[in-house]
Amino acid sequence: MDSIWTQPFFYFFLPAFFTLAVYSLLFKDNPWFKFAEHVFAGLSAGYYAGLIFTSVIKQQMFVPMLSSGRWDMLIPGALGCLLFVRFFPRIRWLTRIPLAFVIGTTAGIMFLQQLHGLILPQLQSTLLPLNDLSNIIIVVGVLTTLVYFYFSKPHTGALGGVAKAGMWFIMVAFGAHFGYTVMARVSLLIGRMQFLFVDWLHWAQ
Amino acid sequence: MLAWVDSVGWVIAAGVPGLIRTDRLNALVLLIVFSIVVIYFIRRAARGEKLYVRPLAGLQAVEEAVGRATEMGKPVLFIPGTGDIDEIQTIAGLSILGLVAKVTARYETPLLVPVLYPMPMAAAQEVVRESYIDEGKADHLRPETVQYIAGESFSYSARVGGMMLREKPAANIFMGTFHAESLLISEVGQSTGAIQIAGTAEPEQLPFFIAACDYTLIGEELYAASAYLSQESKMLGSLKGQDLVKMIIIFCLLAGILAVTFGVYPEFVVDLFTAN
Amino acid sequence: MIIAFFGTGDTLADFSNEALRYMSIVAGFALLLGVISITQVSAGVVRKREKDWPYKIVLLLCLFTMAGFGIFQGITSGTVFEWLFENIQKPMMATMFSVLAFFIASAAYRAFRARTVEATILLITAIVVMLGRVPMGQYVYEDFPAVANWIMMFPSVAVQRGIIIGAALGAASMSLRIILGIERTYMGRG
Repeated sequence: MDSIWTQPFFYFFLPAFFTLAVYSLLFKDNPWFKFAEHVFAGLSAGYYAGLIFTSVIKQQMFVPMLSSGRWDMLIPGALGCLLFVRFFPRIRWLTRIPLAFVIGTTAGIMFLQQLHGLILPQLQSTLLPLNDLSNIIIVVGVLTTLVYFYFSKPHTGALGGVAKAGMWFIMVAFGAHFGYTVMARVSLLIGRMQFLFVDWLHWAQ
Repeated sequence: MLAWVDSVGWVIAAGVPGLIRTDRLNALVLLIVFSIVVIYFIRRAARGEKLYVRPLAGLQAVEEAVGRATEMGKPVLFIPGTGDIDEIQTIAGLSILGLVAKVTARYETPLLVPVLYPMPMAAAQEVVRESYIDEGKADHLRPETVQYIAGESFSYSARVGGMMLREKPAANIFMGTFHAESLLISEVGQSTGAIQIAGTAEPEQLPFFIAACDYTLIGEELYAASAYLSQESKMLGSLKGQDLVKMIIIFCLLAGILAVTFGVYPEFVVDLFTAN
Repeated sequence: MIIAFFGTGDTLADFSNEALRYMSIVAGFALLLGVISITQVSAGVVRKREKDWPYKIVLLLCLFTMAGFGIFQGITSGTVFEWLFENIQKPMMATMFSVLAFFIASAAYRAFRARTVEATILLITAIVVMLGRVPMGQYVYEDFPAVANWIMMFPSVAVQRGIIIGAALGAASMSLRIILGIERTYMGRG
């Protein structure tokens, strides 16, 4: 026997209702959108809570502690608990310790990642022989863009000219990306329209 | 003292074959040169030397935007990006938030900071709280100033969009990592007539911010913002150091390109820039 | 982390991996702070009967229902958690994503009013690439797709590289400032 949850009313009507409620934002703020917005926010927050509890707290902390004797997992647990001392004014300063740990780790990782993982590969890709117009365009584009972001001198004279060329390159790139993304976004809209008119209303096959 | 002992031990270990990855020497050289140059300029700035940095329109507009919000009796909305705390852009956004919060505290302008992830929320609460205390306006801080919203970027966009339509902030400041929600948030903000200042290092999102916002900080300018707004000499010194490293990179790149063009040890040159 | 990167030993690499694991666990604890924040703010609105207070009850009900099912029943296929995600949350995510089509049109209308040289360059390039991506473009000028592809592959890539290199330098500088204790505003110490 089919479960009630697979009946067409629930299967298509509920998603269609919320789809139309979200689209109503395009007209103006209204009670349907407010309702959908709050349901969306509540479910998302709850989804994240369920996911993090199961995949992080349970899987990465409690399971290793209880099954493999990894009692060192109490360290991040203690750091995590320190986040809650913000509710006690006298020891509130302790809440900075876990923040410092997380941000310090991030800084250490990022320092290397940016230099080794981003700068070197981008520079290697730009090592192109200047025997082709396309290669020259890439090299000139990279160099003028880098000069545009030079903060130590005002953009006047020759430096200003190069920086201006960099700005023009940037506008070309942004215009290209804008044009490229338009069609990608329209295809998303087509997808939702297909759901509403084909899957739900059966107005087309 | 202990730090020095550790450093010496590490240097000795580095000299012993098999203890250091020689295929990453190029990254090590880059790291050392970068650190030396930046620290050199930081020390120069700390000694009181005045270092020039060119003005950025978007950052000059921050105080003007907060002033406009104060005159209109409307709040300022600040979004420190939609990334988690493990992204450096989020930390940059939080740094800027601290400086913006000082201005809103000074003018007693309401501040709204909706945050997507809980860890940046925790950091943002501390940042805003300290800023208000520094300005002597701790009693003006409301619990709903920094709010955790959603946990997923589209529901976050829906809530922030709703917030903008109802609260009608006069100034929206977006600083940090953004993805597809950048256009959603900035367009809704545009429709409410707010002055908008954005900054991100995500190249794909910059065109949308440029279209929807009054001022946009592009890439590197986001990381320079905290130095600009604080005007702290050591932070400005690091900017100068960063610029010099950029010039060194430009010259190395030019030399490498010429070597590859004229066939002067091209494989060696390409290996020099290979990330292992 | 830095030493582990350049060393050949396993000990430092293991330490580095454990630090990342610790970080994700600490961030997991912060989640409860987030839930407390939502509850505090929403409950405050309900208690004071401020504007839109009934919607806050809806938000809290959805939050605790979803979280409760996720924590006690699980998050795998066939659970209520998964059903709520597939039938309510996912359609709304797809719809919000599709709303971008409307917003990109309004952003384009505003951006393409060519008042400066830079805006004109942006407008022309965007039109060329848009026409290059639709079949109609080929009827207007047969090489539009090739031109559009060339623009995406060369000048656009060049600028992306420049922005990435510049941003990476900025990020590395910020990381160094944090490591040296010069940048402290993120911790509320201006």
